[in-house]
Amino acid sequence: MTEVSHMHLDGPRGKKPKKRLSPTNIMIYSTLFVVAAYYLLPLYVMVATSLKGMPEVRLGNIFSPPVDVTFDPWVKAWAEACTGINCEGLSRGFWNSVRITVPSVIASIAIASVNGYALANWRFKGADVFFTILIFGAFIPYQVMIYPMVILLRELGLYGSLWGLVLVHSVFGMPILTLLFRNYFTSLPEELFKAARVDGAGFWRIYLQIMLPMSLPIFVVAMILQVTGIWNDFLFGVIFTKPEFYPMTVQLNNIVNAVQGVKEYNVNMAATLLTGLVPLTIYFISGKLFVRGIAAGAVKG
Amino acid sequence: MSPLLQGVVMILIGLSGCIGYFYVSNFVLDKIIFPPKLDDQGRNINRANLVRPWLFLLPALLLLSLYLIYPVVGSFYRSLFNRANTEFVGLANYGALWNDSGFRTALYNNFLWVLVVPAASTFMGLLVAQLTDKLSWGNVAKSLIFMPMAISFVGASLIWRFVYAVDPNIGIINALRDTVGLSPMDPLQLPFWNNFFLMVILVWIQTGFAMVILSAALRGIPEDTIEAAVIDGAKPRQIFFRIKVPQIKGTIMVVWTTITITVLKVFDIVYAMTGGNFKTEILPSYMMDYMFRDDGRATAVAFVIMILVLPVMIWNISNARKEMR
Repeated sequence: MTEVSHMHLDGPRGKKPKKRLSPTNIMIYSTLFVVAAYYLLPLYVMVATSLKGMPEVRLGNIFSPPVDVTFDPWVKAWAEACTGINCEGLSRGFWNSVRITVPSVIASIAIASVNGYALANWRFKGADVFFTILIFGAFIPYQVMIYPMVILLRELGLYGSLWGLVLVHSVFGMPILTLLFRNYFTSLPEELFKAARVDGAGFWRIYLQIMLPMSLPIFVVAMILQVTGIWNDFLFGVIFTKPEFYPMTVQLNNIVNAVQGVKEYNVNMAATLLTGLVPLTIYFISGKLFVRGIAAGAVKG
Repeated sequence: MSPLLQGVVMILIGLSGCIGYFYVSNFVLDKIIFPPKLDDQGRNINRANLVRPWLFLLPALLLLSLYLIYPVVGSFYRSLFNRANTEFVGLANYGALWNDSGFRTALYNNFLWVLVVPAASTFMGLLVAQLTDKLSWGNVAKSLIFMPMAISFVGASLIWRFVYAVDPNIGIINALRDTVGLSPMDPLQLPFWNNFFLMVILVWIQTGFAMVILSAALRGIPEDTIEAAVIDGAKPRQIFFRIKVPQIKGTIMVVWTTITITVLKVFDIVYAMTGGNFKTEILPSYMMDYMFRDDGRATAVAFVIMILVLPVMIWNISNARKEMR
């Protein structure tokens, strides 16, 4: 053992070869610099400005870090910012978004996982047709759906309510989620399923005792896909709910666009950052799985 | 938190409804329709097993056909009626669209978006994926560039509204102009070019997506093809364009088409930035202008969008089918 480590230490000798500042390298680094400015400067200015007081903002120097760090804009954005006559800040939108996101995520994933499992393991005649319908459902542009959905919700008496929006989100997420689960369950070894069948396990038993414990990662991916998708949604929030149920994104847009009073840019920037905080937190916690979730959701129409 | 409780109760009711449905339908199938009687026991069990999957999928199938056929047919049907939904007008809504200069502007702008955004996003994604591959802090750079994908389109648009703000104390562009001594201007009111300033936002968001997918594809290229090229004396640029890019052409196409579909559905950016003013309207935002004001026209626009997306959609679907089989 000691001999081996000794050999490793005894590597190449002499001076390290100097890296040349070749034209190629200069080009690479200058490209990277421009790219970094394009992608990161907006975010940096947002964070810096949101931590400055309004007097400091008016001084200019938007690129300088805050001299006097204050969290007042964040507090104000959360609790006091006004949209018209309502001055509850983003907090109301936040809780609305929670109330919309939680049930729609749970419902759509519960149903889609069972559907995906049935589609993957219980091969049957007509599964092909079903599969094609699913793919079409996943890819069809959502604009075609808006008007019929409004009619449907009006008929059900859910139009404008929180539950109507929950229903819309659950239905819209269904095709892509079912495909996601189907593909995952198809990739599991079929022998497991067959063995359980031979042992006499039924539809639900196989699902609950064999499939569920093995599919934690895909559940996490599906959850990320749905949570970020629903949390970031703006359009359905505007169309299908009343102002009192507006989700956080709509509330944010209304706060930033509010015309009365002095424009408090630091509060607006803090509000924008606050709205992104939930998906960003999930992103930094879940890392690679997040990327998978986003990539899976990107294809839907 | 009573709404949450309500939600849990609703979910429980739904789940027990589902389980009840499955249990009862199973029971009916096994005991009443195909009872395993003495003489044709085996046959009946087989028959029951043929029917069973349909029982499980029937609710989903019904919902999906409702979800697919009803909207498409329903939208088209609505687009044949006038504004108040009282009179059948045939294709008059489509004719009105064609004669509306606002619609033609939107169509033209959307054409520009489809031309520029997927190309620019894919190119930037490929560039970043390739450049960061060699750097030790490449993964940090990648995770930062992917970040805009996590925030909403509205959030991203608002961030860029501050970039473009006229006040040099707020807007990055005008702050930069200020240091050079130029007077402040509003980039969003600059005719024609304002479209491109809006596209920059979507490229900013979508690059992360393109980068992640393409970087995985670049890693998947067999090493020996690159080694062979190195031995043959190929320069880095030649290796990239002649060896690497041709091998990930399929992935590039997938990224390209996926972003194209995204372009045709994003209305948030235009809505939050200009509200469609200053000739920046695109089809999705044009449709939203008429939504609830003139549903006949709005659904007609929805149909135009659907027809425009169709070729890309079919390409994507056939691709997805091949892959998932």
